[in-house]
Amino acid sequence: MTSTAVPGTTGAPGVRRLALSAAMLAPAGVVTLALVVAPLVLVIRNSFARTDAYGNVQGGFTLDNYGRLADPVFLKVLGYSLGVAAATTVACLVLGYVVSYYVASRPPQRQLGLLLLIIVPFWTDFLVRTFAWINLLSPGGPVNSVTDAIGLTSGPAGWIPSQGASFIGLVYAFLPTAIFPIYASLRGIDPSLSEAARDLGCGWWRVHGKVLLPIARPGLLAAFLLVFVPTLGVFVIPVLLGGGKDQLVGNLIVTLYTEFRDQPMGAAVSVLLLVLLLACLAAAGVVTRRLRRKA
Amino acid sequence: MRRSILATAVAATFLLATGCGASGSDSSSGGSSGGGTLHVYAWAGEIPDSVVKGFEQETGIKVTLDTFDSNETMTAKLSTGASGYDVVEPSQYSVQQLIGQQLIEPLDHSRIQGLDNLAEKFRNPSYDPGLKYSVPWIWGTTGLAYTDACVKEPVTSWKILFDQKYKGKVYMLDNMLASYIAALQVTGSRATTTDEAQIARATDALLAQKPVLAGYNSTNYAQLLSTGQACATQAWSGTSMAKAVQSDSNVHYVLPEEGGSIWTDGLAIAKGAKNVDAAYAFINYLLRPEVAAKATDDGASASANEKAREHIKNTDALKNAAVYAPDESIAKADFLLDPGPAIRHFQQGWTKVRAS
Repeated sequence: MTSTAVPGTTGAPGVRRLALSAAMLAPAGVVTLALVVAPLVLVIRNSFARTDAYGNVQGGFTLDNYGRLADPVFLKVLGYSLGVAAATTVACLVLGYVVSYYVASRPPQRQLGLLLLIIVPFWTDFLVRTFAWINLLSPGGPVNSVTDAIGLTSGPAGWIPSQGASFIGLVYAFLPTAIFPIYASLRGIDPSLSEAARDLGCGWWRVHGKVLLPIARPGLLAAFLLVFVPTLGVFVIPVLLGGGKDQLVGNLIVTLYTEFRDQPMGAAVSVLLLVLLLACLAAAGVVTRRLRRKA
Repeated sequence: MRRSILATAVAATFLLATGCGASGSDSSSGGSSGGGTLHVYAWAGEIPDSVVKGFEQETGIKVTLDTFDSNETMTAKLSTGASGYDVVEPSQYSVQQLIGQQLIEPLDHSRIQGLDNLAEKFRNPSYDPGLKYSVPWIWGTTGLAYTDACVKEPVTSWKILFDQKYKGKVYMLDNMLASYIAALQVTGSRATTTDEAQIARATDALLAQKPVLAGYNSTNYAQLLSTGQACATQAWSGTSMAKAVQSDSNVHYVLPEEGGSIWTDGLAIAKGAKNVDAAYAFINYLLRPEVAAKATDDGASASANEKAREHIKNTDALKNAAVYAPDESIAKADFLLDPGPAIRHFQQGWTKVRAS
């Protein structure tokens, strides 16, 4: 903010600059307070609240909502969601790494075009793209034609609804979020490093495992967080592509808030999820710090 | 660099968390009323634009129409106390809940003309005896849809949705109360029951049914039928189902012999409405047969107004069971009411079913 500061100046100009910085930060600060902090405080507050017979939040203080979380039903949904998020993240990281490596190893002028190809589909609405997958994977759809042609199936076959389709949809939705941070960290690596490794006798696996991956780890870590965290909150894809039989924690929270009109319980599940995610972030922070110390 | 990537991730986390919170309490867009503006809050797609425009032209009152897609969303907004809405359109069980929470005003019948245009069955309904609080606008049913392309036997019962023969080819609505209509009726209870043992039996039926189901879907079930991905689904009558029945002669909509259910969405005046005069004018306008007919012609819904029938131009809709279910088929249909405290039994059961 104060990069134009002249070293050594003090007194009135410094105060003015401080005031200027504050004024410039104010809009962002107000937006953050109003749109991030306030709703979050409300969610946390409601997770301790009681409701009347009609589900209206009445205030008060109770730990009942958290007590009810001990019900194996909730733990099961949470466990399943964590599993799905983990699988999606692993797939996105592996695919993301391969794609990023390919893009980053092209000549610079080609890289921009390739990146654009990755971004363009995401200018279309998310729901529309999910419906596109429904058409792709339906009986008689393009995927079916291909499997027919190569003899995998004969006649109409569809893959919707299935956990596989849901998984494909999730990976598709979050792949770009994984590609970009990984690409950013791969791009900065001097190509002569992998050349040197190859000259010194490293095979493909060891060039990646011993040289590139360790340097790209911050990007992978960021990709991990950017995919894992939002996947836990997803609720549309599992319904449309997965048939909605296996509930994710995102679906559960929506049901609690809307259909059940049980805001405190929905808030309690949200807070539990938030705590889990913060724990994830803290763990990631520890890992990065250790990496930095090593580097 | 590392720090900034991490910071982005942190920001994303908070967005996620607050996004979850926001879905329950999305902010009101009602704004101030008074003067020549009427604020209406109605089910999406149930009050056609043509009706709104006609009312505006005739009275000079400006209408702002906001829509919702569940009674619970609407109730949540009204219960904040400052929604700014004059007229709301709750479903029957929701009328009961809104009365209980004192969120709607009693109607002054001396200011309403045309109540006798309503069909007999809606003039003195169990959820609002004497129509003291609400005026039925449209109605529909919860039933069963199937396609001849796949089902070669006559379909008369919910049992098809529990039949191993159709494993992976049947869907239930992704809705607690709707699912329990089928489950309660198929286990020999009424859909209106509040008895814990009967609800528990229905829960067991839903748990046993789950492996048979392809899924729960209340979004594109009509499409799933006409593309042959589903053999039979639980379904709501109205827009998308009506279209599927009309465009594909293989697709049928029936009420099961166990009863199914009938619902109605009606007009009510919100507590603290600022423009009560305009609200009554709006209700009276919508009670006119030729206006009510537009609910069918322009909205593909069944009108609660009996006299509207002769004004309906789309006569196919009158014969379409997914719009106007035949009288004999709804004879046994249950009118779903507010289960009161028994809602807990439903919620516990449904949570168990969905997580199993």
